[in-house]
Amino acid sequence: MAVFAVFQTTFLLALLSWRTYQSEALSEPLPLTPESLKVSINSTQQCLHLQWSVHSLAYHQELKMVFQIEISRFNTSNVIWVENYSTTVKWKQVLHWNWESELPLECATHFVRIRSMVDNARIPEPRSWSSWSSWEEVDERNSLGHGALFVFPKDKLVEEGSSVTICSISRSYQNNVSCLLEGVQMRGEQLDPNVSAFHLNNVPFIRETGTNIFCTTGRGDGTGTVLFVSKVLEEPRDFSCETPDFKTLHCTWDPGSDTGLPKRQPSQSYTLFESFSGKKILCEHKNWCNWQVAQDSQEMYNFTLTTENYLRKRGVNILFNLTHRVRPMTPFNVVFKNISDTNATMTWQVHSIGNYSTLFCQIELHGEGKVIQHNVSIKVNGNYLLSELEPDTQYMAQVRCGDANHFWKWSEWIGKNFSTLEAAPSEAPDVWRNVKSEPGYQTVTLFWKPLSKSHANEKILFYNVVIENLDEPSKLQLHSIPAPANGTKLTLDQCSYQIHVTANNSVGTSPASVIVVSGDTGNKVEEERVNVTEDGFSMSWKPQPGDVTGYVVEWCDHPRDLPCDLQWEKLGPNTTSTVISSDAFIPGVRYNFRIYGISTKRIAYLLEQKTGYSQELAPSDNPQVVMSNLTSHSFTLSWKDYSTESQPGFIRGYHVYLKSKEGECHPGFEKAILPDDSVSCKYKIYNPEQKTFVVENLQPESFYEFFVTPYTSVGEGPLDAFTKVTTPDEHSHLLIRIILPTVFCVLLIMIICYLNSQWMKEKCYPDIPDPYKSSVLSLIKSKENPRLTIMSVKDCIPDAIEVINKPEGSKIQFLGSRNSLTDTEITQPAYLYLLPTEKNSSGPGPCICFENFTYNQAASNSGCCGHVPVPPEAPSQLGLLTSPENLLKVLENNYMNSLGEIPAGETTLNYVSQLVLPLSRDKDSLQTDPPVPALCSEYKMQMAIPLGLASPPPNEKSSVSSVTLLDQGEPHH
Amino acid sequence: MKVLAAGVVPLLLVLHWKHGAGSPLPITPDNATCATRHPCQSNVMDQIRNQLVQLNSSANALFVLYYTAQGEPFPSNLDKLCRPDVTDFPPFHANGTEKARLVELYRIVAYLGASLGNITRDQKVLNPNARSLHCKLNSTSDTMRGLLSNVLCHLCSKYHVANVDVAYGPDTSNKDAFQKKKLGCQLLGKYKQVIKVVAQAF
Repeated sequence: MAVFAVFQTTFLLALLSWRTYQSEALSEPLPLTPESLKVSINSTQQCLHLQWSVHSLAYHQELKMVFQIEISRFNTSNVIWVENYSTTVKWKQVLHWNWESELPLECATHFVRIRSMVDNARIPEPRSWSSWSSWEEVDERNSLGHGALFVFPKDKLVEEGSSVTICSISRSYQNNVSCLLEGVQMRGEQLDPNVSAFHLNNVPFIRETGTNIFCTTGRGDGTGTVLFVSKVLEEPRDFSCETPDFKTLHCTWDPGSDTGLPKRQPSQSYTLFESFSGKKILCEHKNWCNWQVAQDSQEMYNFTLTTENYLRKRGVNILFNLTHRVRPMTPFNVVFKNISDTNATMTWQVHSIGNYSTLFCQIELHGEGKVIQHNVSIKVNGNYLLSELEPDTQYMAQVRCGDANHFWKWSEWIGKNFSTLEAAPSEAPDVWRNVKSEPGYQTVTLFWKPLSKSHANEKILFYNVVIENLDEPSKLQLHSIPAPANGTKLTLDQCSYQIHVTANNSVGTSPASVIVVSGDTGNKVEEERVNVTEDGFSMSWKPQPGDVTGYVVEWCDHPRDLPCDLQWEKLGPNTTSTVISSDAFIPGVRYNFRIYGISTKRIAYLLEQKTGYSQELAPSDNPQVVMSNLTSHSFTLSWKDYSTESQPGFIRGYHVYLKSKEGECHPGFEKAILPDDSVSCKYKIYNPEQKTFVVENLQPESFYEFFVTPYTSVGEGPLDAFTKVTTPDEHSHLLIRIILPTVFCVLLIMIICYLNSQWMKEKCYPDIPDPYKSSVLSLIKSKENPRLTIMSVKDCIPDAIEVINKPEGSKIQFLGSRNSLTDTEITQPAYLYLLPTEKNSSGPGPCICFENFTYNQAASNSGCCGHVPVPPEAPSQLGLLTSPENLLKVLENNYMNSLGEIPAGETTLNYVSQLVLPLSRDKDSLQTDPPVPALCSEYKMQMAIPLGLASPPPNEKSSVSSVTLLDQGEPHH
Repeated sequence: MKVLAAGVVPLLLVLHWKHGAGSPLPITPDNATCATRHPCQSNVMDQIRNQLVQLNSSANALFVLYYTAQGEPFPSNLDKLCRPDVTDFPPFHANGTEKARLVELYRIVAYLGASLGNITRDQKVLNPNARSLHCKLNSTSDTMRGLLSNVLCHLCSKYHVANVDVAYGPDTSNKDAFQKKKLGCQLLGKYKQVIKVVAQAF
């Protein structure tokens, strides 16, 4: 039995040894199947982590193998990844492999299996794979906990511009999940009834605190995740190193964007590695690092600058010779020595960069708005003479240095200010004058320009003006004008004077500027127009024969102001043209230029006068036009007060606009459209001095409108309101010619008549002779009747009452009348004969005439009774007469009074008044023919009638009869 | 016995201090002694009212500042992200006795104080540059601490209540950034809602 056991053991060992031999010596393929496969999830990095081992390896055996890994999602048949992983496997080695999933691993079940194959060159093809391991399943969804909706990945850190897949897991099958990125809907894909995926390409950087992604099912709450997006790590730019002293290397670079995210990812780090020395340092700063130069005379350096963050790593490399990267340190101890008014010596020191090194230094001198560069080579201490400086001027000088042998870069500048010393003014002031000659004296105004700083050499304190009378050289006047005056006014007599002007500072006096003024008023020259170019006023003049030391062009910058800011430009004797420009020139202002020649005696004499505009403008206003000589066919316009000199351009003429109702333009006019689109007739006047215009060929009694505007080369004046005018009637002037003289004549006659009224009165209306004073009376008195009586007007008894019925049928009725007046003939005036007629009167007697209220001319003309014009007291009488009783009373009174006034013995005489009584007729004729009433305005010579011819004197009875007559109411004519 | 005490007491302490895991503990029995370090101010109730008014007046501004600082989608989805659904928030009964109201107030303030601490801590990480939000959160926490002290003092001095069992909200330290933002927003929405009722009740 024991023997059998020993044999069996021996056999087994032999068998094992044989197999080993077979395996190694014969290189037969071995079935090395991966075993102990474990799969886990790293949620932070979204990685599947695999680990396995190959148990079949012999002790200390190393075998190169290939492992094929298959990954399926949701189910084993949905293989999403196959990868071969080659490695050398050792005995008892645990192998690891990671796979990063694009889809967050929490959102899906993953299955993993693996198989292997020996990858040994000694084993001939074909090699065979081992059998697959069993599927390993990983599913995180079971550990999600409670909740309706989950979104993954959580708090993922990605680079800007990368692609990310977001997934959501919904507990409900019915929910349709939508996700928003900063309010923008994301396009999703349904991976599973519960799982949706949202792909984000080119993720933007929105804020350092993360980008919120919000998912909702449309019901209840939503949830989300935050994506932390960092800037992309950039490769360092402009990486370079240099040494100031061969002791340290100062390396700098441009780091680009900071990829740090607060509390999520620190800023990228920088590491400097030198390959020759193998040294490596972590840089504390993000854009520079110092490297200590080794003492072993290493000349060549190969630096690699590496930057990295959680997501990326980048590097950049430079190789250089140390001696070619020398940038000296900034020079120091800059000092200025031996400063004069025009020179200064600058000294400085530099830090040593080697025993035999030479430095190349650059000096910059800043002053007077200029920069001057100088170069100099030095060893240790530098100095440089700055010459040709301006006196009393502040300068700044700076210096920097570089390696003269292998120039790499300049050092930093170091500079300092200094000022040169003062000096007397180096140039005479530029002086000009303005001379005004007055009777007996001349006023000379001197102007000078302040010296430039380079010529003043210090602050000018005052100007000295020395006046020398050339006629009496011994007479000198000195005027000291304190600065900063730029002129003075002198009153001199008509002699010639030489004037010296000097500028003075604290150090000394400038050369003198000399001009001569003479009492000569100078010649007058024609004014010409000056050409204008883009550069200014271009003017030229004829060269003067004889000796001319120069020319001066004079003008005013502000010709409209007082003082006008006189300017001048001095030109050489060979110059006959110049262009005057000034910032003060403005469009629309006329500038006058005077060109003087300067004689050898320094006397200025006027050569030419020019005028012009830098830019002409259209007239800004229109002339005040006066209209005169208005006739039915023409009128005259004049604007003589309009000045063509003070306009914003040369006035070239005028436009006369005329509007008429007919719209037709008269000869010489042309149709024009005004700025307000109205049509008018325009007449052009081409002569600017023609300031009157006669508008002719007009229609009488027509309405016209006119408007006059000047024009320049640019255009015409503004459109103003038209002045309206209406031509008079064609015959009106004739009427005026007739009426006026007529009126004049009438007035003259009236005046003459007034002046000769007495004569006229005597001739035309002689005074009624007073009967008492008549010579007849004296004659009669002496011969016949010594008691003659003069007839009184009151004795005249009217014999009829005229009654005129009013058309409207007045109802006035007289007392006792039976018929109303309306029954009578309306057109016939009614007269009541108060005196006895053939029937009821015994004889002729004085007539009594009453006037009706409605007396009119027609009635008076047709009546037999002459009317007595109503005396001033007539209204009152008429008022009383409206009542029949009053009427009778008045009649009675008048009559009785007239009788009463007649003395008893005088009743033999009767007077007839207001009646033309034909003296040739007898009593009968008077009775048969009623007395024809004469015009009441006519007075006849009154005369005494013999008693026999006279009508019987009225008595009380006759008065009664008259009343009775009235009572009868009979109409009388 | 010593061994028992040495083992049990720390265990109890650990259980008690476990964040958010503590269940409300009973109010101190009436016969328990109650001592305060300093005597309460005579107007402590007025101070409580003033503090409530102050918190109520600033609650909405804090809420607005918070959800604005979180960025989209919070300002435009307040109904979904900031709904005041805080399930374990201590109740408050405005019609209860003063003592009951003060006890409930104490629980609320303790809950809010702890939650504000979590929010402040989270926001310093999530929004490190939102200085005004941090300032407002700190200011509210300070007032909350003062209120808690006053309420406790008043409860102790007047009602001899030395200890009130309190509960805390969930710990957010292990939550993801979005959940931290959302929980903070919900809490501040709830705070704005509750503090108004509480302030009116006193």
